[in-house]
Amino acid sequence: MSPAKKVMKDGLWSNNPIFVQVLGICSTLAVTNNLRNTLIMVLGVTFATSMGSMTLSFLKDLIPRKVRMIVQVLVLSFYVIIIDILLRAYQPAISKQLGPYVGLIITNCILMGRAEAFAAANKPGLSFIDGIANGLGYGWVLISIAFIREFLGFGSLFGIKLVGDQFTPWTIMVMAPSAFFLVAIALWIANNYKAAAEAKKKAKPAVQPASQSK
Amino acid sequence: MKFKKESIGYVVIFTFIVCVAFVILLSIANQLTLDRVKANKSYESHFAVLSAFGLADGNTPKDQVESIYAASIKELAAADPGVSAYSADIDGTNYLAVKLTNPGLWGPITGILAADIKAERIRGFAILDQQETPGLGGRISEPWFIAQFKNEKVAGDGTIAVIQGSGKGDPDSENGQVDAITGASRTSDFVKTLVNKSLDQIRKIGGSL
Repeated sequence: MSPAKKVMKDGLWSNNPIFVQVLGICSTLAVTNNLRNTLIMVLGVTFATSMGSMTLSFLKDLIPRKVRMIVQVLVLSFYVIIIDILLRAYQPAISKQLGPYVGLIITNCILMGRAEAFAAANKPGLSFIDGIANGLGYGWVLISIAFIREFLGFGSLFGIKLVGDQFTPWTIMVMAPSAFFLVAIALWIANNYKAAAEAKKKAKPAVQPASQSK
Repeated sequence: MKFKKESIGYVVIFTFIVCVAFVILLSIANQLTLDRVKANKSYESHFAVLSAFGLADGNTPKDQVESIYAASIKELAAADPGVSAYSADIDGTNYLAVKLTNPGLWGPITGILAADIKAERIRGFAILDQQETPGLGGRISEPWFIAQFKNEKVAGDGTIAVIQGSGKGDPDSENGQVDAITGASRTSDFVKTLVNKSLDQIRKIGGSL
C-alpha cells in the first residue's frame, strides 16, 4: 500500500479519530442534531486539520521544541478564524446557527492531535492527506449520527420534512444525551467489528499481523 | 545557514515573526470582509423589523428589503437605553415597533414587536437573535409560533399570556393568549416577558407622541 493510501485508510477506519482515538467527541455531541450544521462542522474541521497540518509540516524544521505547541495552536486557530470570517461574510445564516461552535473547532482535539502525532514528523503533502483523511473519518461518523438524530428528532433531513404530521418527534434525539448513546453504540459496534476482523486474521496461521495497540 | 534552534534569541524572534505574519493575514481577511459582514447584520435587522410590521416575509426578494425599509420605516429616538424604536404608516394607520433584548434560557433573546400606538393590538412579532435549545426552545423562531402574535388583541391588563395550550398554536387572535412550546416552558416564559416589556415600551413611546 502506498503511504498516501495507508494514511487515508488509517483516518477513515483503522485509526478513525472517533472510534480509535476517541477525539472530537465534544463537537459530536454539540452539532449532530442537524445535518446541515454537521456538514459545515465537518468541512471546517477537515479544512483546518489539513491546512494546519500542512503548514505545520512546512514549518516543522524551523519550530523550536520549546514553543512547538504554541505555534501549533497559533497556526490552527488561524485557519479556524479564517473559516469564521468567511462564514460570517458569505453564509450569515449558517454562521448564526453554528454560533460559538465555529470558534470551538480549535478545541477539537483532532486538530492538535494530528499536528502533534503526524505533521510534526511527516512531509507536507502527506500531512495534508492525513488531515483530509482524519477530517473525513470524523465526518462520516458524525454525519451518520446526525442522520439518525435529525430524522428521529425532527422527522427531516437537511431541514426538509420527510414524514407527515402524525409522526411524533423523539425529543431526546434533539438533546445532547442522545448523542452520548449513539456515539457509544457506534463505538461498540465498530470495535466489535474490528475485533472480529482481527480474530479472523489471526485464525489464518500464514499471516501474523502485529497486533495494534491503542 | 545554520540556526541555533533552541537558543532564546531564536525562539523569541521565531515566535514574533510567526505571530506577526499570521495576525497580519487575519487582519487583511477581516478588513476585506468587513463591509459584507456589516451589510449582512443590517440586512438581518432590517428584515426582522419589516416582518414584525408585516411588510416583508420569506417571499420578499432579498434585494428589495433595503428599499422597502428605507421607504416605509422611520427610526425613532428610543425611550430607554438599549431599546430601538421604529414607526411606520401602513394603510393610513401609524404603528410602532421596538427592538428589545431580554434574557433567555441559554443566552439573550432579541425580538422586535410591532403594535398600534396604544399597544392594544399587536401588529406582528419577529425574533432577531436567540440561542435556545434547538428543536425545543429554538422553535420560537418557527413561523407557527411567531404567527400566533399576528393581530393578537392585547388583554385588558395590557399583557399577552403564554399558556399551556395544544402546543400547536392558538388560532384565536381575540383572547390575548398564545400557546407555549411543549417542552420549553422556560423559554416560552422568557418570550412572554420580552413581549410584555415591549408592549410597555410601545405604550410609553406612543403616549409621548
